[in-house]
Amino acid sequence: MHRQAKSLQLRHLDAGSCNGCEQELTALTSRYYDMQQFGLDLVASPRHADALVVTGPVTDTMKEPLRKTWNAVPRPKRLVAFGDCAAGCGVFQEAYASHGGVAAAFEAPDLVIPGCPPQPADVLKQIRRLQTGDEKPSAPNP
Amino acid sequence: MKSIAVETIESDQWLTRNELLKQAGAQLLALTAFRGNRLEIHWLLPDGNVTAGALNWNGSGFPSLSPYLPEVAWDEREIHDLFGYVPKGHPDLRPLIRTPRWPAGFYPLNDDSRLRPIWVDMEPDNPAKTVEGDGVTIMKVGPTHAGVIESGHFVFSIMGENILHLDLHLFQNHRGVEKSLEGLSTEEVPPLVTRICGADTVSHQTNWAMAVEQLAGHQAPETRCWERIVLLESERVLSHLNDLAQIPAGVGFQVAHQRALAMKEQWQRGLLTLFGHRLLFDTVRPGWSAKGDSDSFLALVRAMMRDWHPWRSMVEGHHGFHDRMNGVGLVRRDDAERFGAVGVAARATGLAFDARTLMPLYQNVSVKPVTGGAGDVAARFKVRLQEVEDSWRILQAALDHLREASDGPPWTPPQDLAGETVSYSESPHGLNVHVVALEEGRIRRYHVRPATFRNWPLVALATAGNAVGDFPLINKSFELCYSCSDR
Ligand code: SF4
Repeated sequence: MHRQAKSLQLRHLDAGSCNGCEQELTALTSRYYDMQQFGLDLVASPRHADALVVTGPVTDTMKEPLRKTWNAVPRPKRLVAFGDCAAGCGVFQEAYASHGGVAAAFEAPDLVIPGCPPQPADVLKQIRRLQTGDEKPSAPNP
Repeated sequence: MKSIAVETIESDQWLTRNELLKQAGAQLLALTAFRGNRLEIHWLLPDGNVTAGALNWNGSGFPSLSPYLPEVAWDEREIHDLFGYVPKGHPDLRPLIRTPRWPAGFYPLNDDSRLRPIWVDMEPDNPAKTVEGDGVTIMKVGPTHAGVIESGHFVFSIMGENILHLDLHLFQNHRGVEKSLEGLSTEEVPPLVTRICGADTVSHQTNWAMAVEQLAGHQAPETRCWERIVLLESERVLSHLNDLAQIPAGVGFQVAHQRALAMKEQWQRGLLTLFGHRLLFDTVRPGWSAKGDSDSFLALVRAMMRDWHPWRSMVEGHHGFHDRMNGVGLVRRDDAERFGAVGVAARATGLAFDARTLMPLYQNVSVKPVTGGAGDVAARFKVRLQEVEDSWRILQAALDHLREASDGPPWTPPQDLAGETVSYSESPHGLNVHVVALEEGRIRRYHVRPATFRNWPLVALATAGNAVGDFPLINKSFELCYSCSDR
């Protein structure tokens, strides 16, 4: 029997993504990946979350909502940059209404999941590092 | 080089000329602003020809078309926000994309500067239109949401459980894509165009490729046309499977939701093997398109159908599910017509418009627009069901053609390409239009008018009169991508 040591609740926030990252995050809930078997779930409120998963390069209009959502997540908490845009190496970093990724716009994430969009199997592997506590900000794609 | 001829129209003729085209059954492609007080408007005539008119003016503004052609109300607000041109006589000139954080005088598309503005330290909310009176409550939802969806802000005026009015405040995802494209060379454009939207990406990529090929007078060889049809139809299946999975989720029909999600995953895994990307990013560019192995693809389509048919019978035979969808989120056909609605949302009201019937790319394919009838959630669901099956039929025919076909000669666009053109395709969400102006091989202006932009106002219309609890279902039945529209 598989026993789960720690659960991890994720809250998603779109800060200007193209919707590709959302589709792959949603894929984790399908029976092919079944994220819940690992104690992972997507929750409706930041108050219930252990980690905030941000997609997109952080548009100016989403900068304040990002800060407010992050402040609503209780400690201890983790910040995840999901996809190249959030990681600061996407194609719209320089656009006038983009703040160039989570680190540049806000603060350094605890976990960076590179990819455009990242593939669900890889996402699962990376997110699970937050459960075991061995996350180190991985290098974004060149 | 083949630019589209643009006829200059006097300002006193601007309204009548455009109204006449609308009355003649033409479909609006795009209303595009340019630097130097210039607007261009492109219409698609029922015979498939495109007609273009331009308006130039001195001073601060141009005559607004919105009071007579409500479908351009958002286009004109966007132009006002990004260029600072004033549509005179516009009934509702509140900001659409701008927020109170934008510095005064910052009109990004009317300016050569590449500098990022210094944002004003304020909340980004714009004034909302609400209903006032005894017993009316204002309910604000978003911009962040409880599920995994894109950001958007909705202001509901409700009385009890009933929605009286919905005011849409979108464009939270506005990155500044059109400006980012300016100045790029033809090789630099594809990675950006691909990522305008993750759901309609092939359609955007194809529009760019067709625009360049049209300008260069290059006729894509037949093989490449079939390859592009394969990619466009693969994207339609992908996007429709996604929407068909989300609609049951909106009413808690988990079995239907999960089984459709699983079909989508199976499809994405196939696309990854065949084309190297689960969402078909970077698969079309001028002179080129990705090619998968026909036999493996045909085997994938057959495998999909084995899961599809039992799933379709299950959802079609579930009375409770249909009871939840019938009569909810109604769009009237005359409203769809008036607002220039496109795609599934328009066809579900009975309008038989599918851009594939006019696209030269599809000239060897018979496409019959799938029309639904009632204009409610159920109709939008059913139209998608049928369109998935039609796409599989088109895919099988196209793959048969490709099995024997040899690759055409390679082609790259000339370095000094110049001119202006418009290209369009039927994305999974409907008519998707690009207006492209090139100068010495670089982008001078790039305007993207996606299907979702045209259809968002309909979501607000369809929502009024329904229960608050049905909004997620209504929204999912349109499943409009935000990022396409916000750009
Ligand atoms: S990383 Fe890629 S898929 Fe994700 S939002 Fe950015 S462009 Fe879209």
